[in-house]
Amino acid sequence: MECEKVAQDFASILEELTCNSRPIITTLTKTAEENISCAQKIVDAIEKRIERCVPNQKLYAFYVLDSICKNAGSPYTIYFSRNLAKLYKRTYLLVDNQTRSSLIRLFQTWLQHSANSMGDHLFGKEALDAIEQFLIKASSLHQKKVAPPTVPGLLREIDKLTMLTRERISQSPQDPRLNTKIMVLKQLKQELQRESMAPQALQQVQSQLRKIFAQEQQVLQKQQQQLQLQKAQKHLLQHSQPSSTPSSQEQTPTPKDIESVPLFGSASISSSFFLNAGNVAPPSEPSRQLSRVQSLYEALSKEGLIHPIADQSVVTLDRILLQSSNDSQKTTLPPLSLLKDILGDVKSHFSVYGVDILNTSNLQLCQQTVIQENSAIIQLRHMLYRYKPNKCSSCGKRFGTSEDEKKEERDHLDWHFRINKRIKGTSGANGAAIKNIQSRNWYLDDTQWQNFNDEEIVSTTRSENDSVTLAKLDASSAHDGFSKNQQNKNIEPADNEANLIKKSVVVPESSEEMSFQCPICREVQSAVYDDDIGEWIWPNCVESQGKYFHSTCFHETIKDAPRQALHQDLERLKGLAG
Amino acid sequence: MATLPGLNDSLEPLNIGESSDQPLLVSLTVGTEWRVQVPQDARLTIKILSGIAEIFGTELALDVSYVFQGTNLAIYAVEDAEIEWTSSELITQTVSGDTNMPFVYNVHFALEKMRVSSFEGPRVLIVGDSCTGKTTLAKTLCAYALKIKAYQPLMINLNPQECIYSPPGCLTATPISDLIDVTYNTWGQSMTSGATRLHNKQPLVKNFGLENIHENRELYMTTMRSLADSVRLRLSNDAAIRRSGLIIDTPAMEQLSDDFSELKEIISLFKVNAIIVCGHDDSLAMRLNGVLPVEALTIVRVPTSSGVVKTDDVYKRALQRNAIREYFYGDSRTVLSPYTIGVDFDMLRVWQPKSALNTNDSPEALMPVEVNASNLQHAVVAITYSSRRASADEVLKSSILGYALIMDVNDAKKKLKVLLPVPGRLPDMAMILTAFRYLE
Repeated sequence: MECEKVAQDFASILEELTCNSRPIITTLTKTAEENISCAQKIVDAIEKRIERCVPNQKLYAFYVLDSICKNAGSPYTIYFSRNLAKLYKRTYLLVDNQTRSSLIRLFQTWLQHSANSMGDHLFGKEALDAIEQFLIKASSLHQKKVAPPTVPGLLREIDKLTMLTRERISQSPQDPRLNTKIMVLKQLKQELQRESMAPQALQQVQSQLRKIFAQEQQVLQKQQQQLQLQKAQKHLLQHSQPSSTPSSQEQTPTPKDIESVPLFGSASISSSFFLNAGNVAPPSEPSRQLSRVQSLYEALSKEGLIHPIADQSVVTLDRILLQSSNDSQKTTLPPLSLLKDILGDVKSHFSVYGVDILNTSNLQLCQQTVIQENSAIIQLRHMLYRYKPNKCSSCGKRFGTSEDEKKEERDHLDWHFRINKRIKGTSGANGAAIKNIQSRNWYLDDTQWQNFNDEEIVSTTRSENDSVTLAKLDASSAHDGFSKNQQNKNIEPADNEANLIKKSVVVPESSEEMSFQCPICREVQSAVYDDDIGEWIWPNCVESQGKYFHSTCFHETIKDAPRQALHQDLERLKGLAG
Repeated sequence: MATLPGLNDSLEPLNIGESSDQPLLVSLTVGTEWRVQVPQDARLTIKILSGIAEIFGTELALDVSYVFQGTNLAIYAVEDAEIEWTSSELITQTVSGDTNMPFVYNVHFALEKMRVSSFEGPRVLIVGDSCTGKTTLAKTLCAYALKIKAYQPLMINLNPQECIYSPPGCLTATPISDLIDVTYNTWGQSMTSGATRLHNKQPLVKNFGLENIHENRELYMTTMRSLADSVRLRLSNDAAIRRSGLIIDTPAMEQLSDDFSELKEIISLFKVNAIIVCGHDDSLAMRLNGVLPVEALTIVRVPTSSGVVKTDDVYKRALQRNAIREYFYGDSRTVLSPYTIGVDFDMLRVWQPKSALNTNDSPEALMPVEVNASNLQHAVVAITYSSRRASADEVLKSSILGYALIMDVNDAKKKLKVLLPVPGRLPDMAMILTAFRYLE
């Protein structure tokens, strides 16, 4: 009954092990140590936990298993050995690569534990052997997935081979073949660097290299076994670590190594696993360095001295950039001309910044100013061009960046649009564009021209009520037929309303809209097309002092005008008297 | 009377050069000029692909096609520029870095300072021998004046052979209130043309009607005085123009009297305060220094550009002919519809200025012209603002309503066909016969 309760407590604590928690593991280990009588139950609970829990938590249960076995030892080790290989294999197949590497590291400690206790295995030899066989298969399987050999990969392999060979030279310096071998390897390396080879050729090179490597390793192994034997005889019964392999502890190739650096097939893996016990194969230099760095990294991160890379980090940015630069959807840069334009605009902005023609000296009109090169004028030239950076795309006129100029530019573009529409004309019934018949004018007479203001032409913001000065032909020849479509400034007495309505005004070119609002009745009158004269006109319209009126409204008001004027005069008189 | 521009046209291209229908590229480095002579029957289309390029001071838009016909032009690269061009015919084209543009810039900024520092802008008279770049300089200075502030320089053309916003034979004053149309030899279209791609201009047109000043120097001066009167009044009404100043283009010195009497009068009429002499050397400037009131005047010389083309009479006539056609018919982009009417002989009252070429020596400035085919066939006539029954004196002083073209005269039926720019009846006005003829 006691055992049941212990096992239940143990299992419930085990349930809480959802992360790698040292305190929980310690507690569990202690419980296991104190309740050796319940060992079977505890082992069952752990095995059950490993079987049942989600894959990413299985590792922690393994750590509990490991901790109990290493601290409490027998009988736990014996109990666990029974199912260990099966559990380990199943777990290994379920978990992700990172957890796998942790599992492998765990397994290595088991092997090492066996080595340290001189032949006394932590778990049963069969179980460990089974796991090892499994791992060898798994990693060789992994290796098959490795991408076809690349030149840098092969170069690395050659480097390793060279290292191995060097190692052999150091042990048997008399062998001349080894030196030639190194020479050949060097040449091969140069060849590879120089030429780009077909994938098949690379494959061949790789397989040959591997053959040589395997041979080399065998030779080296034999030599070392002999060496080891000699040493073992010398240091008989010494429990200390073999002095020739002080770094063997750290030399724990991680699966990362296996993934990225091909370790020459099963041979090397088996050597790195087997020979840890004592017969250590010379670990290749890069992987040794890598593993040192790796272990340092792990130690540091354990102490909380290494922080994970933040999203805003330069390193992250670099990675993102690298990814995006590999992507097919590369950001297209704007064309060179645009960049030049921007540069030019900025340059000229600064070259005339704060420059004022008024305050510039040497601008007096004289022969010297005209002939001499003047640095001030060279600067000022920018004012004619990029100083106003916004160039109209249809006529090339430039506009500045101030609010006023921007408004002017918008009005200017509107004007282009309107005038182009007018020039293009309306579409005919058959869909073909019919060119508008242009309205033509006579020249102004002297007086009209003297009083003319070009704002009438240039202003793009003129209100629709503004008139356009047209030649006053009618004034001197009232009897000819021109008054039909010419504006008549002299208001003739209208006989009846029908006549008034017939009056019309050709929509002036400067008008922004095709409609006008009569200032008297406030009604909006839109334009109609007059086929006879080929113009858009405003019917029932007269113009007076730059404003457009319904001619009916206008004449009604005019009739009352004299009376109103009299009234106003009277009012004024009254005011004076008062 | 002998001038018949339409008949004297030469069909030979001015020069033989490259030709291709394929778009060609020319790259200009900053400060260089691409000079092209486009014959009358050729059509040059250009497009600025990149950079900043201008034609006589007017900057060109990017990626917009400009079409030129029968003209000499220079495209100046303000910044490195790439131009795509196609030409239907052989054209002569060169690229040169030898321009007078640095001097033109210097003149412009000197004038600009005068505009900024006073309400009375510069009144510039441009003089020089024929083919020394007078009109080009005037055009460039006008174009630049528009750029920094919205100045409206008043362009005054005193050369009746030149057609600036008018048919030939006129003296004109035109406020340049917006972009000059670089594709027109007449600088663009006037308000008489209706809606145009660019803002049109409102010129004051004074009819001289003769081709050469020496044919009737007195009439020339009268016409000019009348123009100057209107300009004076306009300046007093229009502060923008007063501040922007005048740019006065003159006939070639050869056309004027040797004693500079016309120049002296121009200077006093328009209150000129600066004279720009266009010339290859200082000789004319020196001579002017001797005879003009230099205390109130600045005389400077702008060296003539190496790009100036010696034009001949054939070229000038072609330009005049084009100007007449443009006045009545417009061009390919702005098609105008002139109006043909039939009238009886007695509907017309035509006057004619006396000319040194005329044999009879009458004391009157204007003489009546008999309406018949030999006098009026294909003639360009000026329609005045004076009534048909007005006296010669009134007609002479009158403003000009516009021009009409007598297309056909039938002596037997006593009928004429008259082409009017504006639809309607023939204005019941007195007309003045000009020396220019036009035949389709």
